[in-house]
Amino acid sequence: MASPEVSRLDLDLDVFAGPFDLLLALILREELDLLEVDLAEIVLAYLDHLQARDELDLEAATEFLVLIAALLELKSRLMLPGEELEELDALAPAEAAEELLERMLAYARFRGAGGWLAARHEEQQASLFRKAPLPGELRRVPVDAAQAAYTPDVLGQALGGLLRTPPALDLRHLGPPRVSVADRLAVLRRLLARGTFGFEEAVRGADRQTVAVTVFALLELYKRGEAGWEQKEPFGEITVRAGDAPPAATEDDDGAATP
Amino acid sequence: MNALARTLQALLFLAPEPVPPKDLADATGAWEDEVGEALRELGEALDGHGIALREVGGGWTLVSDPAAEDAARRLLARPRTPALTPAQAETLAIVAYLQPVSRPEVARIRGVASESAASALVERGLMEEAGRSQFGAVLYRTTPLFLKLFGLRSLDELPDPAQWDPSPDEQTALRDRLLRAGEERAGAPAAGGG
Repeated sequence: MASPEVSRLDLDLDVFAGPFDLLLALILREELDLLEVDLAEIVLAYLDHLQARDELDLEAATEFLVLIAALLELKSRLMLPGEELEELDALAPAEAAEELLERMLAYARFRGAGGWLAARHEEQQASLFRKAPLPGELRRVPVDAAQAAYTPDVLGQALGGLLRTPPALDLRHLGPPRVSVADRLAVLRRLLARGTFGFEEAVRGADRQTVAVTVFALLELYKRGEAGWEQKEPFGEITVRAGDAPPAATEDDDGAATP
Repeated sequence: MNALARTLQALLFLAPEPVPPKDLADATGAWEDEVGEALRELGEALDGHGIALREVGGGWTLVSDPAAEDAARRLLARPRTPALTPAQAETLAIVAYLQPVSRPEVARIRGVASESAASALVERGLMEEAGRSQFGAVLYRTTPLFLKLFGLRSLDELPDPAQWDPSPDEQTALRDRLLRAGEERAGAPAAGGG
């Protein structure tokens, strides 16, 4: 049933004063003619009520919308001449019979006509027509207009730049990685040989991939005890210094895969 | 057969739809009455041939001879379209005679809802929507395909539907029966139920 907020909505209309649910009950029992109720006033009253409360109860608002929509539909049906049939029950027997007779006579006529059409349909199927690939409205183009489309100019214009070969795509950036841990190990060892250095110095001007591989190389050096580093604060400068172990003898030992 | 008749035969052989006389006149550069005369000549010349000349839906077309139907359907693998159901036939008849006519009007005359029959007829291309009534109901009318498939020159060729009206005797009998039924019902409140 209606939520308290909606059902107790106080109304003061021309034809009715009281709570909304009483109005609904009266309309449903046909004690009050819906045609005389100004539904816009009810909406205004509800809007005033909402404003006074200063908060929107969604459930109550939805319910109000449903109820007022139902009332509007009911009222519009009452106001418009319906296409629905008059109930035969409401007519006197003689009238009802007369009405029914009219309908049955009209029906008999079209049932007969329908029979004729069905037979005609069967009979006419004996002759076949040519079947077209395209509907008529698509083919009815004057010969002149159709020819114009075939001049070389029109075709050339339509083709336009499509005839030119586009430049080959540069796919170099998609190649396999060109920076190896071994390369970066060599760079770091060369820098370490000169003493302490900043990480920035080791990767100055390098791309992201090189920076990442350099980090791996540095970790590798740390693992082998060849290097250590300091960083005073997050994102601060990293200072790399030589470790305790001596540098590896072989340049080509990338060491990355060995534990 | 004169030159114009031969040309018209060629045009109709090529045309996939019935061609109105005016289009034939435009294409051949002849007058419409000359075209009409040539069409008569062509029709006579085709007598006894495998194709015949027909006027349907306001245009002229060549059709195959009924004797060739079975062979033609085998060649084209095109079976006969299913016969109209009684509901479809009645609905189509109402639309054909009263068009444009709304769906509620069809339902009122037939006494039952006719949605599925109407949509089947639209599906078969025999009728189409023709706007809305003042109450917003869909209006129907028949299509050119209807005229073609039913071999009609125009809607005027539909037979007078009054021939299917019940005879005066039948009407009287029907009225008496209805009145008796109504009185019995009114005289027996228990049956009426309120």
